[in-house]
Amino acid sequence: MSTNPGVIGGHAAPMLDVVEVKGNTMTLSMGPQHPSTHGVLQVVVEVSGEVVEKAEMEIGYLHTGIEKSAENLFWTQAGTVVERMDYLSPLGNAMCYVLAVEQLLGVSDRIPERAQAIRVMLCELTRVASHCVWLGTGGIDLGAISTFFYTFDLREDILDLIELSGGARMHPNYLRIGGLNGDIPDGFLGKLDGLIEKYPKRMHELRALLQNNPILRDRMIDVGIVSPEDAIAWGLTGPALRASGIAYDVRKAFPYSGYEKYEFDVPVREDGDAYARFLVRLEEMDEAMRIVRQVRAHLDTPGPIMIDDPKIAQPAKETIALSMEALIHHFKIVSESFRVPPGDVYQAIESPRGELGYYVVSNGNNRPYRVRTRPPSLYNLQTLKLLAPGNLIADLVVMIGSLDPVFGEVDR
Amino acid sequence: MPSSQTPSIAGLALDPTSVRSEIADAEILRIAPGDLRAKLEALRAEGFSMLLDIGGVDYLGREPRFDVVYHLLALPAKVASLAEVGTPRRIRLLVGVPESAPSLPSIQDMWPSANWAEREIFDLFGLTFEGHPQLTRIQMPHDWEGHPLRKDYPLRGPAREATPRPAFALKSNVPAGAPPSGKTAAALQKQIARARGQAPAPDGGADS
Repeated sequence: MSTNPGVIGGHAAPMLDVVEVKGNTMTLSMGPQHPSTHGVLQVVVEVSGEVVEKAEMEIGYLHTGIEKSAENLFWTQAGTVVERMDYLSPLGNAMCYVLAVEQLLGVSDRIPERAQAIRVMLCELTRVASHCVWLGTGGIDLGAISTFFYTFDLREDILDLIELSGGARMHPNYLRIGGLNGDIPDGFLGKLDGLIEKYPKRMHELRALLQNNPILRDRMIDVGIVSPEDAIAWGLTGPALRASGIAYDVRKAFPYSGYEKYEFDVPVREDGDAYARFLVRLEEMDEAMRIVRQVRAHLDTPGPIMIDDPKIAQPAKETIALSMEALIHHFKIVSESFRVPPGDVYQAIESPRGELGYYVVSNGNNRPYRVRTRPPSLYNLQTLKLLAPGNLIADLVVMIGSLDPVFGEVDR
Repeated sequence: MPSSQTPSIAGLALDPTSVRSEIADAEILRIAPGDLRAKLEALRAEGFSMLLDIGGVDYLGREPRFDVVYHLLALPAKVASLAEVGTPRRIRLLVGVPESAPSLPSIQDMWPSANWAEREIFDLFGLTFEGHPQLTRIQMPHDWEGHPLRKDYPLRGPAREATPRPAFALKSNVPAGAPPSGKTAAALQKQIARARGQAPAPDGGADS
């Protein structure tokens, strides 16, 4: 069957399409188009009966050269492409990018408080929305299809809010270097209040459906255990690291955008299995809403939402018709962006998946010289090589789901 | 052929890392490729337990041409509370790699997380890692030619098609002569032949 793999499919890695039988073991290809791989992931598993002996992953199916694209765009434009890496948490990517560029510009301490607060609020809402997708699709992996409708209903409310603020549901490009693109519109706070009110009830229903569900517990408890030592060695971050007992959260360790002002707990579990990761994420959703409620309390008082620096901030539309300087600045920023002092910076944030880092290099030009992303999904997913051997093939699905990879970010 | 879209670096910082202003993001160390493993061992013994990321940068025109950047984080490798983690130290190692000897020792035996990161740098920058068990392409297709994140790799891919871009394309941001798609001329010919129901032409028939 596998004697001449070279002709099958004309594929770049034709070996991977082959189902190979050798003695008691069989090589199976799972994906790249498979509903349980959460995107385009191919796992080539060697199984003996139903037990996985070895799992090799093939990634890159969604590689779109975003880092290369960013190098060829203006500083102001690159924010639009980096948002498309982690498509479940676009605002997290935007946040990390603008923070990095603001550090290079040396204006980090001049970002208006209201802009910082709205950034935090939107990032936390995105975290809830992202975890909603994880919970919904993770439920489907385990046969709990009804959760999907509950979580996507909640997510839809959040995407409505993001659409209100930035004009698009998924990639609003709302966070700009220096602040935000416009204030939140009328009606936003009313909708936000509605969500804050609805959330506890919806979450209660979800927990009632899932948390003590005996089937779910059986599928997740003691599956895919990561010890703290392994978690460190494999570069695991985010909820997966905290489920192994290490309370590292970038928001607490290296606070950015005013996170030190908000009260929130960092959920930690010590079991390190899929169920621990499940619980950590559920609790994280509650903590995220807790931060949103705190930000909400400050949003009634208006204030500036963009840095007071005409070289960085686009002038308001009204001023362009009245002021020659505003017109010139607008023209310059749109047509050739601004120059960023040479240097390199590493900026990290806590994305829903873990430590998202941007290593940004400027050579003094109006385009980034290099935008290297540290994608948490890539490192989290790599851990599957460690977790899979010795487990049932059905548990592989649970493990992938519990690591919550997003392939826009893994492949970039 | 450098892409016309890549900004000219004349008059700009050839080595931005040497002229950076004070930003308190991490401790920074620049070391030679030969010292890499020893230095990393020492840092790991010092408590830098997590290898966060390895990234590459191509400073075309500088000697050494490439920088490989190792980001480390000092986390306790055991169950630890928020207070025990505190504000962990960050360090990044910059390793200059010359184009004439584009190779570094692999560290995936020290940190398994380095496995994919090293493969990615091999794939996108063309630097090799000695001792890596499976140094193959990871993001690009396995039969891809060239290393896309190098600065002299054109944004739209190497101009391999016979058909040049029309003159009006000069007005857009697409360089003249760039291929309209990622396909090679040979692949296009095959596709056309297939669509016509003919047997694909033998190799070499595509250059006309």
